[in-house]
Amino acid sequence: MKEVSIKLLKETANSLMFDMSEEEYALLKGEFDTIQKQMSLISNLKGLDEVSPMTFPYDVEFTYLREDTPKEVESPEDALKNAKDVIENQIRIPKVIK
Amino acid sequence: MKDYIHLTIEELHQAYLNNEVTPLEVVTQVLDEAEKDTNNAYEYICKERALEQAKNLKEEDKGNILWGIPYVLKDNYSTKDIPTCASSNILEGYVPIYSSEVFDKLEKAGAILIGKTTLDELAMGGTGTSGHLGKTFNPYDPTHERMIGGSSCGSAATVSSGYIPFSIGSDTGDSVRKPASYSGLVGFKPTWGRISRYGLFPFAPSLDHVGYFTRSVKDAASLLNILAVYDEKDATTSSKEVKDYTKGLDGNLKGYKIAVIDEILNSITDKTVIEEFNKTLKILEKEGAVLSHVSMDIDLVKAIYPTYVIISCCEATSNDANLDGLKFGLREDGKTYEEIMTNTRTKGFSTLIKRRFVIGGYSLLKENQQELFLRAQKARHLIVDAFNKIYEEYDLIYLPAAPSIAPKFSDASDTLSDEYLISDNYLAFANFGGYPSLTLPIGFEAGMPLGGNISGRIFEEDKVLNASLAIEKNLPYYNLYAKKETK
Repeated sequence: MKEVSIKLLKETANSLMFDMSEEEYALLKGEFDTIQKQMSLISNLKGLDEVSPMTFPYDVEFTYLREDTPKEVESPEDALKNAKDVIENQIRIPKVIK
Repeated sequence: MKDYIHLTIEELHQAYLNNEVTPLEVVTQVLDEAEKDTNNAYEYICKERALEQAKNLKEEDKGNILWGIPYVLKDNYSTKDIPTCASSNILEGYVPIYSSEVFDKLEKAGAILIGKTTLDELAMGGTGTSGHLGKTFNPYDPTHERMIGGSSCGSAATVSSGYIPFSIGSDTGDSVRKPASYSGLVGFKPTWGRISRYGLFPFAPSLDHVGYFTRSVKDAASLLNILAVYDEKDATTSSKEVKDYTKGLDGNLKGYKIAVIDEILNSITDKTVIEEFNKTLKILEKEGAVLSHVSMDIDLVKAIYPTYVIISCCEATSNDANLDGLKFGLREDGKTYEEIMTNTRTKGFSTLIKRRFVIGGYSLLKENQQELFLRAQKARHLIVDAFNKIYEEYDLIYLPAAPSIAPKFSDASDTLSDEYLISDNYLAFANFGGYPSLTLPIGFEAGMPLGGNISGRIFEEDKVLNASLAIEKNLPYYNLYAKKETK
């Protein structure tokens, strides 16, 4: 497991596309000490590696294959209504290719 | 004039049927109360819309139990043309273009939306303090020193104030059932998959549930009759037959086997909580249930909270990636689209949310995933197996919903203590296994309510409701609200 450092926390935050203040990173570093102690409670569980990871509360019967019936879809105007900068039915962002 | 705004759903419905009062009269008074709210319960009050709706209800629909019944919705449910921000600055100005299934069903049933309520930002939190409007207060404490809990804080505060008969919340760890305990309400989260989550902003989808608050068990059953559905827009809803949850609801518990888990009960240090809880055990026995104290591996019980933290933070980190400052909500300037995203997310999320995302991001790092995220998912498997084993023999598990009355905002918890790790956070077990789980008031301490919690096997909401009714009918807490408290 990667050792927790302010540098690593900053890299992780930046990879998630945000930043925090130095004080916030320091606070988070302190929290990680508690989290790691709590995590040891998981690591110590008997039989942990004999079971599979659980991703749903119970065996879920999915129903992906519904009838292919036409439905009303949102209009482009509606879909773009909440975007702050729109031009010609597209969300405008700064140029990617300079 | 008779007081019509402190009634349960069932009582108000009867008053409408008897032509004692009209929805417009009730809604006008309820809006008046909502505008006087001092608990910071609202993100948005839909005054004009509610009045219009009350005027336009059709008489021929009057037989529907929710016809003309005012309610509020946690602000993480999508409501077409009504601002929805999940108490986060990142969704500033966002007006959804579609409605959640829950809102649609309530609209069709004739219920009248009074407003959207505050929550812990993006439903992440258990204290009712992290929303962008600040703390939400507990109506039982006029000094505003005690929390109501979260994340469904505003939805709890309105029903607990007495003038709203029901509200919708959401529950990922205990976000309906814990605030219900702190504010003397019935807080119910049916089985994962029983109610559609279409249009509920996801926090941790493998744990997220629709939940709600009422002031009577019968109202909780009536609401489930309206809300339970298979919805093709939510692939995780169940196609299992929906029961009539009010049918056979009589509180007779003959044949019920109920387990009390000693490791959870014994972690509680508050004597009043234990005394009040023990009184309700006698009630359950009197109504015919067979009670047993059972034991669980304490290491598993202590692992519930850390397992919850890792899984929920990991899922949230991924789910909230769509809050990017481009498509909707807040948008900050930047020279590149990456800069826009980073600047928007830096400004739009509060410190608490960002810290949770970093915990999730750290746990999902390639080097840590096996050790943290996958091990937490395996721990979830062991925990659910242990609870399912109890459910092989017992219909229900009954315990105090929380180890104390609502804490003060200034109280600090020892996050490594048994009480914190076990009795303060064990309710997440019902999210791990998707079990139906209901909190209801069982006593008071220092003028503040205390709750008990009953959880059952998946899709056995009827038993959970019936055992809850058995307790309710033996205690003076039916239709309880803050100014009417029975101490």
